[in-house]
Amino acid sequence: MEILKKLISRRRFLQVSGAGTAAGAAAVGSGGLGIGQLSTLKEATAATVDSNTVVNKSICAQCPARCGIDVYTTNGKVHAIYGNAGHPIANGKGCPKMHLGTYILYDPDRFKGPMKRTNPKKGRDEDPKFVPISWDEALQTVADRMNALRDKGESHRFGLFFGRGWGATDVGMTLVPMAALYGSPNIGIGHSSMCSDGSVLAKQCTDGNASYSSYDYRNANYLLMFGANFLESFRPYNNNLQVWGYIRGEKAPTTRVTAVDVHMNQTLSASDRALIIKPGTDGALALAIAHVILTEGLWDRNFVGNFTDGQNHFKAGEAVEAPFDEKWTMGLTEWWNVELKDRTPKWAEGVTTIPADLIVKTAREFATTRPAIALFERGAHNHSNGVLNGMAIHSLNALVGSLFAEGGLAYQMGPAYGPAPANPDDHLDDYAKNGPHKTMPRIDLKGHEDGYMFAKNMLQEVPKNHLAGKPYKMDTVMFYMTNPIFSSPDATAWEKMLAEVFVIDTSPFPGETAMMADLILPDSTYLERWQDAPTYPFQGWPLAQIRTPAIKPLYDTQTFGNTLIEIGKRLKGPASEYYAKLENVENILRHLAKGFEATPGDNGVNSFESWVEKGVWYKKPYHWRQVRGEFFEWDGQGWNKPMSAEDVKKKLLKTDSGKFEFKSSYLDHKRDWVIAKTGRDPAKFNFPHWEEPKYTGSGDLHFVTPKNAMHAEGRSANIPNAIALMQPTAGGRRQVYAEVHPSVAKAKGFKDGDRIRIKSTLGEVMAIARVTELTRPDTIVLPFEHGHWAHGRWAKERGSHVDSIIDNQSDRISGMANYYTGKVSVEKA
Amino acid sequence: MAKWGMVIDLEKCTGCQACSTACQMENNRLPGENYQDVLYYTEGRQPTPTLKWFPRPCMHCEEPSCMHVCPTKATYKTEDGVVLIDWDKCIGCKYCMIACPYGVRFYTDEKPLIEPNIKQVFKGDGDLSWNPPYKGPQQDPKHGVGIQPNGVVSKCNFCYHKISKAPKGTPDLDESNPELVEYVPACVRTCAPKARYFGDLDNPNSQVSRLISDKQGTRLLDHTGNKPQVYYVSGGGAASGAVPGTRSNKKA
Amino acid sequence: MATQTQGSGGAVSAVLMAGLAGLVVSLGIAFFNLLSGGHSAFNTGSDGVSWGLPVVNYVFFALTSTGLTLVASVAMTFGNKAWYPIAKRCVWLSLVTLVAGFASLALELGHPFRMLWAIPLNAQLVSPLNWMGIFYAVFLVLGILKFLRIHNGDWNSSTSKQIGLAALVTELLAGGMLGMAFGAMAMRPMWYGNLVPLYFILTAACTGAAFAVLVTCLSYDSEETMPAQVRTLMRGPLPTAFAGLLGITILVIGYRTVIGLWSNADGLQVWDAIVASPWYWIEAALLIGAFFLLLQRKALALASVMVIGGFFIDRYDFVIGGQLAPLFKGSWVPDLIAYTPSTTEWMLTLLAFSIAFLGWALGEKLLKLDAAPQD
Repeated sequence: MEILKKLISRRRFLQVSGAGTAAGAAAVGSGGLGIGQLSTLKEATAATVDSNTVVNKSICAQCPARCGIDVYTTNGKVHAIYGNAGHPIANGKGCPKMHLGTYILYDPDRFKGPMKRTNPKKGRDEDPKFVPISWDEALQTVADRMNALRDKGESHRFGLFFGRGWGATDVGMTLVPMAALYGSPNIGIGHSSMCSDGSVLAKQCTDGNASYSSYDYRNANYLLMFGANFLESFRPYNNNLQVWGYIRGEKAPTTRVTAVDVHMNQTLSASDRALIIKPGTDGALALAIAHVILTEGLWDRNFVGNFTDGQNHFKAGEAVEAPFDEKWTMGLTEWWNVELKDRTPKWAEGVTTIPADLIVKTAREFATTRPAIALFERGAHNHSNGVLNGMAIHSLNALVGSLFAEGGLAYQMGPAYGPAPANPDDHLDDYAKNGPHKTMPRIDLKGHEDGYMFAKNMLQEVPKNHLAGKPYKMDTVMFYMTNPIFSSPDATAWEKMLAEVFVIDTSPFPGETAMMADLILPDSTYLERWQDAPTYPFQGWPLAQIRTPAIKPLYDTQTFGNTLIEIGKRLKGPASEYYAKLENVENILRHLAKGFEATPGDNGVNSFESWVEKGVWYKKPYHWRQVRGEFFEWDGQGWNKPMSAEDVKKKLLKTDSGKFEFKSSYLDHKRDWVIAKTGRDPAKFNFPHWEEPKYTGSGDLHFVTPKNAMHAEGRSANIPNAIALMQPTAGGRRQVYAEVHPSVAKAKGFKDGDRIRIKSTLGEVMAIARVTELTRPDTIVLPFEHGHWAHGRWAKERGSHVDSIIDNQSDRISGMANYYTGKVSVEKA
Repeated sequence: MAKWGMVIDLEKCTGCQACSTACQMENNRLPGENYQDVLYYTEGRQPTPTLKWFPRPCMHCEEPSCMHVCPTKATYKTEDGVVLIDWDKCIGCKYCMIACPYGVRFYTDEKPLIEPNIKQVFKGDGDLSWNPPYKGPQQDPKHGVGIQPNGVVSKCNFCYHKISKAPKGTPDLDESNPELVEYVPACVRTCAPKARYFGDLDNPNSQVSRLISDKQGTRLLDHTGNKPQVYYVSGGGAASGAVPGTRSNKKA
Repeated sequence: MATQTQGSGGAVSAVLMAGLAGLVVSLGIAFFNLLSGGHSAFNTGSDGVSWGLPVVNYVFFALTSTGLTLVASVAMTFGNKAWYPIAKRCVWLSLVTLVAGFASLALELGHPFRMLWAIPLNAQLVSPLNWMGIFYAVFLVLGILKFLRIHNGDWNSSTSKQIGLAALVTELLAGGMLGMAFGAMAMRPMWYGNLVPLYFILTAACTGAAFAVLVTCLSYDSEETMPAQVRTLMRGPLPTAFAGLLGITILVIGYRTVIGLWSNADGLQVWDAIVASPWYWIEAALLIGAFFLLLQRKALALASVMVIGGFFIDRYDFVIGGQLAPLFKGSWVPDLIAYTPSTTEWMLTLLAFSIAFLGWALGEKLLKLDAAPQD
């Protein structure tokens, strides 16, 4: 009713002046250009529609993929983000999350500057009563606490926990060295055990590479996906989508795809075959596929080898005695004898509910439509048997000879960075070298006999250990890019811990950690800061991208790397010299870029300036390739240089044997510990084998909480435009719905759209039921996203906090949190 | 003059909604107010349910019923075949929303899908119904581009602020061409699986014309006679276009 | 003066006060809500019902205006002198009800004042809404002219007759165009059909007759106090004609319903929901009950109120029902859109009824609506 409003212009005038604050505050950010950009402006803007528009290169922050982005700024306002056409992951394209960046930058709930808490009481319902302080006071407060702990010989009681680290400037050269320089084993506890360590350990146990894989999808003819939602969440999402369009719409022949998951999702739908599996049983399916490959003689003889007599002796249920000449694998016949011979499709049908005939078909296709890749992620390994599932699936790659092959999978090379401005080793004092922290276990008991010997990190164990005082109690904890009080299993345990310790949060957003924090040192958002990021495993060849600020920080915030450097400068002892030499993030970036002078990128990037201009340095190709069972190294022209077994062991198959190990020597090294802690059969503990997952809770429904495509790391919950598109397949657009099968709804007496109560041993959450055939009758699917009790006006009190009812159980080998293994009951609310 | 049109390859579409979010960003859409959206359907039963999706922009029809019903000619068709709204003429009667068979028109003043109302967070003044700090520089009410004022209807404009600047005679606005990328509609430009193509339907040698020919492009709800300028293709081969969608494609 | 032929006028005064109160209350609440929230005070939505209750109000009153013109034309155009005693009242009421309808529509439009210049300057010749607007606007002028003529005693000059005929024709065209605005929507099968204009005119005549009967009853304390000519009309031709029209209309509604339920055409599923709603059956009871009351020429005021109520439901089911089946299915979309008018929307209904009755009562007090030609 515009006309009515026009009738009373005075009232309108008042409204306009009320809106002035937001506009005025935003104007502060106008015209922020960093060095190095000016020279590039002309070229970059030549083609934009508006001549006032400036385009600068940055990196998306909505997932780990690190797509290069073009950020469009006009008159000091950022208004558009598109993929960087010169960036090999983005290729000018975007996933749905890429375009959410401006909402994050201009989030009205952002912190405006450093603050300290004035309300000593902590809890969900306590207002922290933050008051603004200067950066100097904030940084000095942190340094004083750290120095005081060090003076008491308790530096291990300072912890710095991080999640989505990006590169050298925020983690590699700033955060990680602080552990040694300052002296705390708890600086640098990452979130990888809550992320995807299950796959890292599965690879490490079999082929010796503690890493995610790089994939050559474009040359593959078959993809077999387990619990990796390729078209909704698997990284690099944007590139996966590009790959999909190519392999399904353009490539000849079209790549065939079979996808395995616990509910019908977009990946399963778009695939040629969807296998909707019982949660936690992916390993059984993989074992049965391996069984079929062997009994039908479909393995790759070039890579695996063959029976000495050339006959196939693998017969279901029968042990093999005939000699087998293994080439690049180790332990095949042993594996068969202790495990695979009984893993028939019929057996697997009983475990997985996947019909045996489909298992046979899948196995035949997979093994005969090469190159073929078997890939897996959290769906398969977020269970107590996760590493075993992962090993079984990854073994399929070995059986069909996909490792390091064209159209197969490999690992990632690092970028040709120049050396850091300083070497931490030159700045260690006696305390750093020999202080009491040296003998202290990590608070998460990673690598400890009582904890998790093989794990990379065990962030989810921190509150439990702290609260028990085992091994000790923390004094001060600092968080960077992680909010485990919301996202950790048994998340509420963190609330008890954080109420007891001094908490420093560096998020620019008012998350749950911040609500428990004593000090807020707000990071600048990703469009306002300098940062480097080497690629996550992508296609193997090295790739490093750079964030350049599109505008100056809107508020009094500071890039986390600089925050750490400034804290470092205030530390007692020689550590401060190290950080003084780092100077600031931009200086580090300049040092990194020095490496490009000697190794110019394929796009001509050979300096800091050209890196800023293009946004990415990369150098193809991946240096190694396996061709029909022979390994070759790149010689500058082609993969021409044959590799010795020694070379292969050193560079590619980094196991004790230098081969792909069905029988893991890595696990064998801690044989007694593994057997004692897992109770696994000593005969097969280090082979991929079937073990029933230990489901947590006592309900009758598997509780699975996947990530949706619209999940922009940690921030979608407060972006209304993202909330409105959050759960397209089930129609959740004010909040996500719990997908429940009609048979469950009928049995429990509720209807589509009813409120339901989901109960685990830890408690209950409320949700809205979407009664749908998408989900198995034994499973309830409720995507994680909502349920915040802080985090901003749109996030707060929307939807269900799923991680508050997920038990903190981890795979004893990988340390991977078992997010998808809970069993719950539901009832009408 | 070009007759701009779009081809969407349903076989390549992954249903990721990047088209929707790119459009939302480029055109400053409100939450849930998608000029371009994707519809999702579930049918069948476990363990063999089907899940399908269908991307749906404005069809920019050859015979747009929305234009024909508009009493003030606020909805009009440009010479280059785009259906636009002149916000200075729109009286907000919403008849076009009634008459559009595709459901791709939006009225400004409605209850917000997501509370709290973002329009109240970033308040507008007389000319703009809201004023987000991230709004684009383009504001062209005559072509229904930018933030809409109160009391009017808005719709997909094929990113008219971009395509109208394209060099004349261009057969296809192909985002892989650096010379053209800035003129490509946001949804087409970002579409990662390259399921969208944008070009001149009147040019028989354009990529869109080739795709329609090679893959038997079909149009949504062809029986309404609106004759969309957005075509859908999938798979290709004789069979995909063999089911007649309507009695006749020719104008009487 | 008026009291000479009418009773005490108690009913008129009561209606006047009620109409005034309704106007103040509805305007107050509607303006407050619209000013603070704009049209978000309505429960309409781009993914739901675009035309809500305010459009129902408009259709109801605009067609009532057409109907009243039809009733007035029986005497004034078609020369049935027995109908003269209610002619002036009907002409006045046709103007008042049209204003009532326009008032609701104006508060529903995004830019009602822009409409005043934008339609004439940019007329879209193929838009039914354009022609409907033109015809109703022309009628408004002709209707005022006609009323002024008869108010000044010029019932039968050729100019007066020509104006009356022109007014009737524009009203029929306007009502027909309103029907076409819906009937031309091939994409919405619940509305689609080339007989919708006829349906609208037929039902318009019913609500017009209902208003004519109701206000005539209200104008006099009882049948006994009616002038003889009025009594004769009210005891004979008027209820008979009314009953005949209503009977035909009930049949048509019945066939519309059965066709809606029978056909599998996409979009007609909404008929299942309409018939499942108690409102449909209330409408049926009201109309059929009124039909029998009219046949027996009993309780005419009650019968006309029943017809007004029944047809308000019918307009609601028609306008809203045509939008309840979503154009596309999908996970975001319900099988059937849930729409309940908001308080603000109901206030516009109250506003329209208040304008209609207040306008009538004022006319009754000030404009000698019972006047008729002397010969």
